[in-house]
Amino acid sequence: MNPNDSELRVGSTGPVPAATPGLGERLPRLLLAYWPLGPLVRRVARTRASVHSKLLGAFLLIALLLIAMGAMSLRSIATVAHQSRLLDQARERVDATRQIEHALGLQMNFMRNALLLRDDATIESMFRENNRFQKTFDHLEATAPPEQRETIRRLRTAQDNVMATVARIAGLIREDKADEAMDLHLSEGYPLYREIATLVTRAVRAEEAGMGQLREGVQATYRRALLLTGGFAVASIFLALGLGFVISWSFILPVREAEGFLGQVAKGDFSASIDVPNRDEFGALARQMNQMSRELHQLYDDQRRAALQLRALNAELEDASRAKSNFLASMSHELRTPMNAILGFTEMIRDGLYGEVPPDIQEPVSDIHTCGKQLLGLINNVLDLSKIEAGHMELAPTEYVVEDVVNTVKLSLRALAAGKGLELVTTVAPDLPLCLGDGKRITQCLMNLAGNALKFTAEGRVEIRVEQEGEHLRFAVADTGIGIPADQCEYIFEEFRQADATVTRDFGGTGLGLAITKKLVELHGGRIRVESEPGKGSTFFFTIPVRVTQEAPA
Amino acid sequence: MKTILYVEDNEFNRKIVRQLLSRTSYRLIEATDGEAGVTTALESRPDLIIMDIQLPKLSGLEATRQLRTAPETADTPIIVITSFALAGDEQKARQAGAAAYLAKPYSPRELLGMIRELAPEA
Repeated sequence: MNPNDSELRVGSTGPVPAATPGLGERLPRLLLAYWPLGPLVRRVARTRASVHSKLLGAFLLIALLLIAMGAMSLRSIATVAHQSRLLDQARERVDATRQIEHALGLQMNFMRNALLLRDDATIESMFRENNRFQKTFDHLEATAPPEQRETIRRLRTAQDNVMATVARIAGLIREDKADEAMDLHLSEGYPLYREIATLVTRAVRAEEAGMGQLREGVQATYRRALLLTGGFAVASIFLALGLGFVISWSFILPVREAEGFLGQVAKGDFSASIDVPNRDEFGALARQMNQMSRELHQLYDDQRRAALQLRALNAELEDASRAKSNFLASMSHELRTPMNAILGFTEMIRDGLYGEVPPDIQEPVSDIHTCGKQLLGLINNVLDLSKIEAGHMELAPTEYVVEDVVNTVKLSLRALAAGKGLELVTTVAPDLPLCLGDGKRITQCLMNLAGNALKFTAEGRVEIRVEQEGEHLRFAVADTGIGIPADQCEYIFEEFRQADATVTRDFGGTGLGLAITKKLVELHGGRIRVESEPGKGSTFFFTIPVRVTQEAPA
Repeated sequence: MKTILYVEDNEFNRKIVRQLLSRTSYRLIEATDGEAGVTTALESRPDLIIMDIQLPKLSGLEATRQLRTAPETADTPIIVITSFALAGDEQKARQAGAAAYLAKPYSPRELLGMIRELAPEA
């Protein structure tokens, strides 16, 4: 591990604290610090269930509580309804009992009237009240609670006795025995009436007492229902709040943890790891993030190592490149210095500096000079190609006149053409503008192509044409030579290639001229191509921008 | 009689110039490295200096620069002979203060023409 790495590790692995926590942040932190919420949150987090299940569970719990509350309320309502019904029945009975008392009073009244008036109509009305009692009693007996049945039965018995007595009194009145009737009324009728009145009072009191109890029962039920409902409501609210808090924080805490963790990873601290108690999706996420961090760390280390290696390699390459460059420069000098002497001495001999050259020596001296020039050309080609390959070939753009370039080539090759009996023709389009480019290199290109053309042509002519095509100059070198087979055309611009190995034997040359020409043309941002027909001749075309504006593309 | 200083480490090349100038009225003095070239130039005050670009001890370009700044030789024409033929060689030679530039291998005839142009024979 690089010692620099440790400097990167700042802070703990915990979550990054917020800059200024507000109340919304402080309150939950405070709650989480105390029992039971803190442990509960951890317990929920540790629960091996999916987030979906946890949320569903919480909602179900609250829903169950609400259902229970509803059931309790319904039960209370049913109880109250039942008690109200009982209360109504008791009230009806009280009414009925009072009716009986009232009817009895009315009957007594009619009886007194009958005793005084002694007419049949009054007596009849006395009996009519009797029928009404019967119905009321039936109703009373049907609804009375068991403890009241005895009283009612006694009432009925008393009433039956009253009816018998009333009948006897009525009979006595009809027989005109008023005194006896009065006696009977006083001795039996009245006491019976008193007894009934007492029974009625007792029954009414009993019913009223029962009603009082019922009313208290209703009140109690109502109070209980109120308490239960309130209690359930409060419990539901607290449960909902509590569950909401616990569940949401069991999710928020790992998310916060992850946020802090990712922040550290983003800062390049791969030593951090995320630790959450969750056994749900958040737990799985945390595991994945740790895995990711480890892999990133590995990648980061690998990449650093690779970068360091690359840097070292780059330095080595630069050294190598510099060495190559230096080698090229010194080779160039070392090879040219003896060439300078060879060519210099030969030229001075030819020029007669050492006296008249004997005729039989003239030719060998001339041959030495020619071969020396050829050797120099080969050395130049090899060095040029090496420079291009090493990326050290730089163009020196200056303004040049195309006509001068073509004339230079023509002058240089005129002797060669004449020697082979070939016609060397040049056609330069009139009104070509002043061009910008490396005139010497363009001359070299044209010289290579024209030199080749002369070399591979036995009879006929070699023509150099230059014309303008938009922003480009188009150079063409046409010959009537041996031509190039179609399948060889694409290879001839590669280094050390000539169309045929025998070509080298027959015509000489290193096969570097075309490769160098192609590279120089491309260095200028131009293109080169060839059209050829074996046996008829070849035409090489290359284009060069009229003005080479920038460092030519590689 | 004009004096010409040729600074060149290769004996054969010195011999060429020596023999080239033997039939002329020029007097040739020679130096074989850059430092000796500067010293000789300052002592002998030649009329023309021919300086090879690659020399032991002190490069031809640096020697040219030094001679340009010395008052004794500030106006002496210098022909720089290069062999690199790299782009910018001529420019470097001119910047160093060369009056002319000739790439190796040069033609003796051409060199003589250049000498006669820069320092005409008396």
